Amino acid sequence: MKDAKSLLLLLVSLLLVLVSFVLIWTWGYRYYTSKDEYKVNAKIVLTDSSRVVNHIRDSLQKVYEETISKLDARLDSSLVNSDSLKTQLEVKLAEFFRLSNEIKALLSSRNAGKDFTVARQKLGELQNRAEDLRDKNKLVENENNSLGTIIEQLNKPEKNGGNNQKPLNPDGITNAPNDKGNPVFAVFNASDLRLSAVALNNENEVETAWAEQADKLVGTFTVTNNISQLSNVEMMVVVLQPDGRVLKNSEWDSGSFNTPDGTKIYSYKVNFNYTKGEQKRLLFSLKTDKYQKGNYTMQVYYNGIMIGKASKVLS
Amino acid sequence: MNTTFRCISLTASLILFNLLIAPAQNTYVAKYESSSVFAGIEVGSKGVKMSLLEMEKNARQTGAFHILRDTTINTDFISFTQSTYQATVGALNSLYDVAVKDYHIPTANVFTAISSGVHIQAEKENKLNWVDQLINAFRFNFNEPERKVTVVDVKEEARLSHLGIVPDSRRYNTFLIDIGSGNTKGGYFPSGNTSDFKLFQLTWGTKSVANSTEKTMGSDNSLENYNKQLARVLSNAENAEIIYAINESGSFPMSDNVAFSGGIAWSLATLIYPELIENSVVPVTYEDVLGFSEKLLKNYNTLSDYYLIKAMGDKSLDMNAINREVKRVNQVFDQRSLMAGTGLLLKIMRQFQSVNERKNFYLVKNGSVGWISAFVNQNSPK
Repeated sequence: MKDAKSLLLLLVSLLLVLVSFVLIWTWGYRYYTSKDEYKVNAKIVLTDSSRVVNHIRDSLQKVYEETISKLDARLDSSLVNSDSLKTQLEVKLAEFFRLSNEIKALLSSRNAGKDFTVARQKLGELQNRAEDLRDKNKLVENENNSLGTIIEQLNKPEKNGGNNQKPLNPDGITNAPNDKGNPVFAVFNASDLRLSAVALNNENEVETAWAEQADKLVGTFTVTNNISQLSNVEMMVVVLQPDGRVLKNSEWDSGSFNTPDGTKIYSYKVNFNYTKGEQKRLLFSLKTDKYQKGNYTMQVYYNGIMIGKASKVLS
Repeated sequence: MNTTFRCISLTASLILFNLLIAPAQNTYVAKYESSSVFAGIEVGSKGVKMSLLEMEKNARQTGAFHILRDTTINTDFISFTQSTYQATVGALNSLYDVAVKDYHIPTANVFTAISSGVHIQAEKENKLNWVDQLINAFRFNFNEPERKVTVVDVKEEARLSHLGIVPDSRRYNTFLIDIGSGNTKGGYFPSGNTSDFKLFQLTWGTKSVANSTEKTMGSDNSLENYNKQLARVLSNAENAEIIYAINESGSFPMSDNVAFSGGIAWSLATLIYPELIENSVVPVTYEDVLGFSEKLLKNYNTLSDYYLIKAMGDKSLDMNAINREVKRVNQVFDQRSLMAGTGLLLKIMRQFQSVNERKNFYLVKNGSVGWISAFVNQNSPK
């Protein structure tokens, strides 16, 4: 009986030893394998971290690019919406730098010996771009000055308080003849624009809608300006024929002027002195040998800016 | 074999020339619906010039004439040597032949004249008999002893230029000034009729200003020195002559418009306003010319045909015509000549700049045919 008990005890203890051995082996194995796993994991972690870094960098880049592009878009849209002169300035600046880089490349290239003419041409172009930029700069300055003057003029009555009936600085603002390169701003409004064809019938002038009967085109319009009194105002009238060409009265009457869209040819230039607030009715007539059938367009410009437009169809 | 080949190729070339070139020579495109074609042949100081003019029926009112052809044969008649004389006679004869035979212009519509420049120089050198001999040789050659060859004096030439260039509507308020190479002349009609003409003259022209400047440059041939010396020459000319001559002319109160003709006016009109290529007259301001003068000195490259074409905004313009004309200007005038002419022009313009009153300035491109066209117009049957 004792033997049976001690045998059972021995078996249990052996089992326990076995279990503990198994457990120890398992732990040992797990410990060992866990070391390998750690190594493997470590590798993975390392790989993953560079990917993550790249990923983060990429995403940052994306965010940056997105921000920049948004900023660019915002800037672009604000540039587009802002003063067109500034936009032109940006374009000019970009052209200037592009040319500058091209010239640098041409001059630095050792094989460019044959292309010096190109370099010279580009240099000329660069110089002119620089001049353009200077001009544009002047243009912006002039615009600022003119706007400043207007603000000053507008503020004066408030300062004078009740002296409104007195003409505002009658000699102060004189509109110097329009510099070809300096369209500044439009202070005039044009209204009641009318273009008509006139036939001469026994020395009587009769309006006509027929191209064949027309002897001259007569244009009339009213200009007003409540801001300033001006002397020697120049307004350019462009009359476009149905074929798109500018109608010229005489070569002595036509010329060219600058607009933000480039140089334009005018049909007629109207000169006058202007008293502030006056409704000035202006008239001109144009004669040509033959009148085309179709739509004639009259455009009125002041300081390079179109202030009014009218059209007339001749059958 | 070679000779045969040469003969064949020469014959082929001549046939080709006749087929292609010859017909082109005697064709022109008329501009006006109702017009007549005249030829004016002028013996000038530099050479013999023929202008074929299409005159509109009411050219006198509108000042409208169209130059169909403008040909010059350089002969340098005022050298008064046997060879230049022969060359001048030859040129005169051949241009008359071209007008009558190639262009089929009736002999009554061909007008011949000797310019004032030739007359003045011949008088100076006591060579007036050379002029008479030239006229007689021309008459003899065509067996036309009665043919009228007018010797025009300086006042008549200036008067005719005014009549030829300025339209009637601006006749009595326009002062016309022709800046030539050796001198400047012009004038206006002070009394409301075309027989009374006030002559204006200066001894300075584009070339004489340039020559005087060159002489004072010494060994320093740089552009900076040229500009410096040019300013001195022009300042002297202004103080010694220009101010006095313009005051003396009495033109300031009489003129609303001041029109400039001559080579320098043509070149400036072309380079400042290439977009107005079709206009024979362009309005200009003192500030425009001043700006151009600065560009000449500091940025001359940008006045090339390459750049001017590139800078044109309106692409609907005739770029080929602009290109050709700008090239022609740059061939005739180099940078220094342009600077000299522009400087002289500015000095004259300045006399008409006033705080109280501003004159309208114009640059006339076709001034060279101005007086001959008026001469033709005056002598043509009405």
